[in-house]
Amino acid sequence: MPMKITNEIKDNTIIMTLDGELDASSSVMLDEELSDPEIMEYSKILVDCKNLHYISSAGLGVFISHLQRFEDAQIKLIFYNMQDKVRNVFEILGLDLLMTIVSDYEEARSIANE
Amino acid sequence: MAKERKFSLPFIDITSTKNKILSQENKTADSSPMLYKTNARSLLVTTAVVSWALLLANVLFSAHRLREQGVAQLSLPFLNNLLIVVFLVSVFLFQRLSTESLKGVDFIGYLWNLFSKAAVAAYVSVALFLGYKVMTNYADTESPLLLHLVYQINFGLLVVFLAKAFYIWRQLLLYHKNKFLQIAWDWFELLLGAMLLLTIFNFDYNSYIFMPLLALIGFYILFLCTNLKWVAYLTFSNKSRSLVLLGAILLSCYIFVRFFRGLKDSPNLVIDYTDVSFLLLAMMFVGSYTLAAFLVSLFSLPTSSVFEQKSEDLLNFQRLSQSIQQGQSEAQVYDMLFESTIKASDASASWFELIRNGEPQVTHLLNINIDQIKRIRHLLLAYNIHNIDYINNNLNRNPGFRDLMLPWKSLIILPIKSKNYLSGVLYLLKDIEQGFDRETVNVLRTFTSQTILTIENLRLISESLQNERYKEELKIATQVQDSLIPKKFPVDSWFEISTHALAAKEVGGDFYDFLQLSESRIAIIIGDVSGKGISAAFHMAQMKGIFHGLMQQDMPPSEFMKQANSALSRCLEKTSFITSALYIIDYSMKGFMFARAGHCHTLYYNAMMDDVFYFQTDGLGLGIIRDKSYANHIREMYYDYNPSDVMVIYTDGIVEARNEANDEYGEDRLKYMLQQTYHLEAEDIKYAIINDLENFTGPDNLYDDQTLLVIKFKPVEPNK
Repeated sequence: MPMKITNEIKDNTIIMTLDGELDASSSVMLDEELSDPEIMEYSKILVDCKNLHYISSAGLGVFISHLQRFEDAQIKLIFYNMQDKVRNVFEILGLDLLMTIVSDYEEARSIANE
Repeated sequence: MAKERKFSLPFIDITSTKNKILSQENKTADSSPMLYKTNARSLLVTTAVVSWALLLANVLFSAHRLREQGVAQLSLPFLNNLLIVVFLVSVFLFQRLSTESLKGVDFIGYLWNLFSKAAVAAYVSVALFLGYKVMTNYADTESPLLLHLVYQINFGLLVVFLAKAFYIWRQLLLYHKNKFLQIAWDWFELLLGAMLLLTIFNFDYNSYIFMPLLALIGFYILFLCTNLKWVAYLTFSNKSRSLVLLGAILLSCYIFVRFFRGLKDSPNLVIDYTDVSFLLLAMMFVGSYTLAAFLVSLFSLPTSSVFEQKSEDLLNFQRLSQSIQQGQSEAQVYDMLFESTIKASDASASWFELIRNGEPQVTHLLNINIDQIKRIRHLLLAYNIHNIDYINNNLNRNPGFRDLMLPWKSLIILPIKSKNYLSGVLYLLKDIEQGFDRETVNVLRTFTSQTILTIENLRLISESLQNERYKEELKIATQVQDSLIPKKFPVDSWFEISTHALAAKEVGGDFYDFLQLSESRIAIIIGDVSGKGISAAFHMAQMKGIFHGLMQQDMPPSEFMKQANSALSRCLEKTSFITSALYIIDYSMKGFMFARAGHCHTLYYNAMMDDVFYFQTDGLGLGIIRDKSYANHIREMYYDYNPSDVMVIYTDGIVEARNEANDEYGEDRLKYMLQQTYHLEAEDIKYAIINDLENFTGPDNLYDDQTLLVIKFKPVEPNK
């Protein structure tokens, strides 16, 4: 299943929608998106994981590799609408304590605006 | 006597078939037919000589009687005719057998053979006749006996000449034959043979009954004379030589015809061989075919160079396309291209550039110097037409080229270019305008495209060899990695352990290992490197080193994870991380200590409470946070075990394995499996889980490395 990544920009926030499976090949795409220097102009990145069915270690690796950079630039990275299966992967690895994962868009929005 | 001889011929045939059958039975196929041929030939020669001698005797006898009695009549005319036929048949059959052994396409050889062995006979006959004339003039007396002798000898020579020519022409006429032509020829031979009957029964072929028949045969001969395919295969020089030989053979024909027609119906002779219709027809065939060959050779002489060029192009093309099978190198292929294209286009100057690392390098030149090449290249670069297909058939019209003052007037550039790779450029120059016409350009393009194909194929072959080598190296890597994973755990009476490891690719990122820390303590580690393949395998080896290095100092699991994280932070690439879990089991304390760094939860069966559950502990994977703060993300846990407790340690390849419907195997199913099997031995629990997993995924559905360790604590105390 090919991965589809769409970016929507709403008042200083990027809403990134992940659709499909984030495996070794599609994580290259994600890495390109996150490496885009333009992204640093925004202070919040909300990642909609509603249609993210699977995440591989390579996909996790992409998020992990950008984590420190976003933190240094004080960019908030917030995941929401995550399926249980995918959330379990984040949790096993211990990423739930490192990243902000919330249940829905409203919650993500309110955390982002704190 | 002659009759006897004649009947002996079919008899030979019968023995020959017998011989053939025998030879097939005895598997001595080579000697018998050869022997038969030699025998038959010597017999035919003897028959010919004897019949000729008898004829001579009869003729001389009759001539003698003519002088004595003045009656020009042959004694025993019927026997005489029979002798003529026997002589003809034996000579023709002899030649038939001899020419069959001639093979190959050495046409000049055939012609020379015909000329040297038969056509010369005509000149001998002329010499004989002149000798006779001189002698009679000198002695001033008529010598009918001598005349008859000369006439008879010339008859013999004529027959030998005709027979030889007849069968050599057959050989050439049937070159590239088809079935129809073969049948046509066989009928021709049969018809000619039938003509001999006329002679035997002394019919006059000039009579009205036979005239239409003769005319028909004449047309038949004309039709046969159109089969001259061999002439096309002669080169220019061969054609000139064949013209001389054919001319000489024609002259021989003329001499014989002239001689025998001159003495036709002569009152001085008792016999007239022009009455033999067979000879007339044979002469007609030999003469017409020779004339036809002569004329065709003569008129095809101007076009022969075209055919020579075409066949040479074809040959070069073949050489080029076969160069792979012959194991030739790229350089040799370019050599061939250079030579062939110059020949095909008749170029007056040429050079070839090989592109190495994007830089052209002149490897071949002909009649041009480096300075001229430089100037032309410079100009082409200025026009931006280098390295592309380009034809200029009138360089003088272009001011740029005119200024270069080159001695050439036409230029063609042929890049050797595959879809995305330029391997070389060929430049051909000619000193005439319109030097490269469409026909030539087509041939040149064929050459270059074949070269491209050949070069591509050569590269593909070397690439596949390279791939083969990589595969071998990968095989070695698999073996090396396999040796990194322990095959045997220490066997002890207080626990049993069973392991399973399966890599999705040649090398994988899963690993497990153990270290005996002291007599009662053992450290077991399991881990999974993110990603797959070679890079994962390298990190896995690294992790094994870290495990052995750090655990020599015997530290608690959480401390190990902190130090391993700090070690890996320096060498792991940014997107890579490792999940791991470390267990230190102490049987003297009947407990184990463990820490989980982002690895899958440990599945556990507690025998005392009869419960199967996952240890829910926190712990971040290694290499995710690369500073001291990692210490806050790792927890350590201590657990007392009971006899018959079972611990299942695995990697995500097990729980994330999928079936065809894309469902994951999952933690729940794994837990359920342990609930069903905890009472079994560790080995059997492992097999039960693996079998269930395989049933779930189906065959050939392995996408991630799978590792599974089952540890069962045993109730028996170790013997001390």
